[in-house]
Amino acid sequence: MKHSISIFWRLKDNHYKIYVTKCGDCGRVASLKRLKCPYCGSRNVEHVESRGFGELINYTVSYYRTEGSEQYLPRVVGLVKLDEGPVIVGEITDVDLNELSIGTRVEAVLRKYSSEDPNGLIYYGLKFIPVIKK
Amino acid sequence: MTSSRFRVGIVGWGAYIPVYRIKAKEIARQWGFDDRVTDSIWIEEKAVAGADEDTVTMGWYAARSALLRAGVNPGDIGAVFVGTESKPYAVKPSSTIIADALGISAKKLSTDLEFACRAGSEGIRISVSLVESGAVRYGLAIGSDTAQANPGDVLELTASSGAAAYLVGPADESVAVFESLVTYVTDTPDFWRRDGSRYPAHGEGFTGEPAYFHHIVSAVKMLMNESGLKPSDFDYAVFHQPNGKFPLQVGRVLGFPREKVLPSIVTPWIGNTYNASALLGLAKILENSKPGQRILVAPFGSGAGADAISALVTDKVLERVGKAPTVEKLIARKKYISYAEYAKFRNLIHRNLW
Amino acid sequence: MVGSGVTKVDRHYDKNYLVLIDEAVGKTLANSGLDASDIEYLIVSTAFSESILNQADPSTYIAQNLGFRNVKALTVSSGEVSGAVALDYAHALIRSGKASRVLVVGFEKMSEYPSWVINRVYSKILEYEVEGIKNVAPSDYAALIMNDYMRRYGVSRESIIKWSIKMHENAVKTPHAQLQFTISADSLSKALRISEPLTMLDSHPTSDGAAALLLVNESVAKKAGTTPIELVDVESSVNLPIYLRDDLTYFSATAAAYKRLSSRNGVKLTTNTAINVYDTYDIYGLLTIEALEICARGEAVKCVDEMPYLNVGGGLKARGHPVGATPLYQVHELRELMSGTSWVKYDGDISLAHAMSGPDNNAWLILLKGWV
Repeated sequence: MKHSISIFWRLKDNHYKIYVTKCGDCGRVASLKRLKCPYCGSRNVEHVESRGFGELINYTVSYYRTEGSEQYLPRVVGLVKLDEGPVIVGEITDVDLNELSIGTRVEAVLRKYSSEDPNGLIYYGLKFIPVIKK
Repeated sequence: MTSSRFRVGIVGWGAYIPVYRIKAKEIARQWGFDDRVTDSIWIEEKAVAGADEDTVTMGWYAARSALLRAGVNPGDIGAVFVGTESKPYAVKPSSTIIADALGISAKKLSTDLEFACRAGSEGIRISVSLVESGAVRYGLAIGSDTAQANPGDVLELTASSGAAAYLVGPADESVAVFESLVTYVTDTPDFWRRDGSRYPAHGEGFTGEPAYFHHIVSAVKMLMNESGLKPSDFDYAVFHQPNGKFPLQVGRVLGFPREKVLPSIVTPWIGNTYNASALLGLAKILENSKPGQRILVAPFGSGAGADAISALVTDKVLERVGKAPTVEKLIARKKYISYAEYAKFRNLIHRNLW
Repeated sequence: MVGSGVTKVDRHYDKNYLVLIDEAVGKTLANSGLDASDIEYLIVSTAFSESILNQADPSTYIAQNLGFRNVKALTVSSGEVSGAVALDYAHALIRSGKASRVLVVGFEKMSEYPSWVINRVYSKILEYEVEGIKNVAPSDYAALIMNDYMRRYGVSRESIIKWSIKMHENAVKTPHAQLQFTISADSLSKALRISEPLTMLDSHPTSDGAAALLLVNESVAKKAGTTPIELVDVESSVNLPIYLRDDLTYFSATAAAYKRLSSRNGVKLTTNTAINVYDTYDIYGLLTIEALEICARGEAVKCVDEMPYLNVGGGLKARGHPVGATPLYQVHELRELMSGTSWVKYDGDISLAHAMSGPDNNAWLILLKGWV
């Protein structure tokens, strides 16, 4: 599907990097850059860039077909608990379906969300892969 | 001997190789080659970019590793170059996407470069001059490709995907300091791809002697003449590696013993990563080098041209190797796929959009 | 409420939204003594008419085409809970005295495009800038939540499907239900997977339908030819983003709305109360009856066997989910129960409808009472 050029461009901070939002009032940390704390509603928040590493705490192998995503099926969607604390939802890629397990250490990498239209924009964003050993 | 006139070197380096591999013999059999051809050019398997990967995503990973090793503030990088012959956009630079994703500031030079397989290396040369002249503090040069080859052509046995990145900066921050850099370029039509054409064309045998060998030999001899260095002064010789055999042959012609060339050869296990080819070989050498060793790197690009670069390893290399995945670890990270999966990932199967 | 009517839920390739609505409205107004020109407010509920039918504000065209000559017409488009929101608005209009005769109409045409297009449309109920762009779908969350529930409480995959089995049994007895056939746990191993471990047997189907409810004030109700059912109260709550919740298996928005509703009205739900909940996926139905404090946490699969008046129409699973109309189907089915025209006899004096957006992102509760 076509996404708005300006919407995608505005979202770069939440798709090229992972930020977490720390609340100065209630102390909780939420994933993504937010205007206000989702827990207490406070505007007294700080945005911190995550290193992009975390643990896979839940995942599903999805066969759900939406136009524009056929090439990436089956998709693995997972919940990742970032080292900084909060949980983020995202696609897990480069995985062997037999090797997936809860507790796998993952890292965020830049990949294509979609590029179906040969004349349209390519949408880049972060997905997670099992950590590449140093 | 030589005294370095450059006070510039490699501050950080990074590599990326996709996880998927396809065996060269599987490709050969698919198209009716005698599968012994893979042994004759020394190719065992090649790396295949996944459906969600491209030059930008791979270049980003290699560049991020280079920055992790360098430990510099991304805001101090004043130039970003991506050398590639598989640009995701014909018009729209890959370099800006990678730069923004890495947090590099807007105050920078930035462009994508094309010169077949040596544009990544040209990016290094340009970065060296920018740093040396004081125009920038650090320059980031990336070589990244999802190499195309006509299905059923012999190049399909080797054309693969990968990326390497080099952060060029002051010599006193470097893991290897540049001593001499030369480039030898002529108009030689050995391999090309017309605008809009999906796959490159090539002159088969013509790509050998008049192109690859002539330009690399000429560039290296030019460097030896200017610097006074001889093969015995070098601990390693890294060449562009379209297959496993060519770099060994050109090394022999230039008088390098086999054991100085072999350590940098990676193509037999990951294929020809085009702009990352020589640069991944160099990364592997850096990851195994000792301070004081001297490295020759000679990338080649069709069209045609070759660089010859001499670099001296410093004591900073040892502490930086472990800060990011090494070439050897990336080579070892692999999953085999079939020709059908490879065809799907590499868009060889036409699908209508609904 | 003095009238209600629904079409059969199905893939109605041969009927457009006006034809479906005309049928539902006809059934609703029959025996009420009112016709279209008596209606003061026409509140139309649809989740996706702009995406699927390229029609913004269909209420205008329903009014123009179906004889609503003196009406104030508006469309409520509030994602998966549109119907509940429309009822809340109708309720407020009548309670405030601003109107005395309000017709609420809900419809949806989910079969109008192939699945790969409709799947993208349905995914709009999640947050576009977070999940939509990343290709995370509503069924992916249902799968993640099912995983969590099974791990947390040791509940088996086979026991969860009991919900769907019961829904189908109820649908067989409901003339307007979409899937009037029974299913068994044996089918699970061959069922098409949507998002592991979620299969087609766990999920609502693709449905078209239209439903209408006629809401009036007390004095009009007294003159109606039917026994009124009172729409007593509506309550709602918004939850945290799914991935920020400490416990995916607790529908805290549904729970919070229920606590407020129950304390304000002095009602408490039991296993014998008639309820009609959003089982968008069977796991969501199970979690809802736990959030409504009918069953203890982790016990819903056992509890379901003891609830004779649960989703008597077959739920979203088997009656179907014509999204904008679904809450109105739910209220119609509760009205049938309370008026004695359902397939089962119900003696209770209250009943409750529950609607929610995705996994409890935005939960709505509607309390009904027998007229005294």
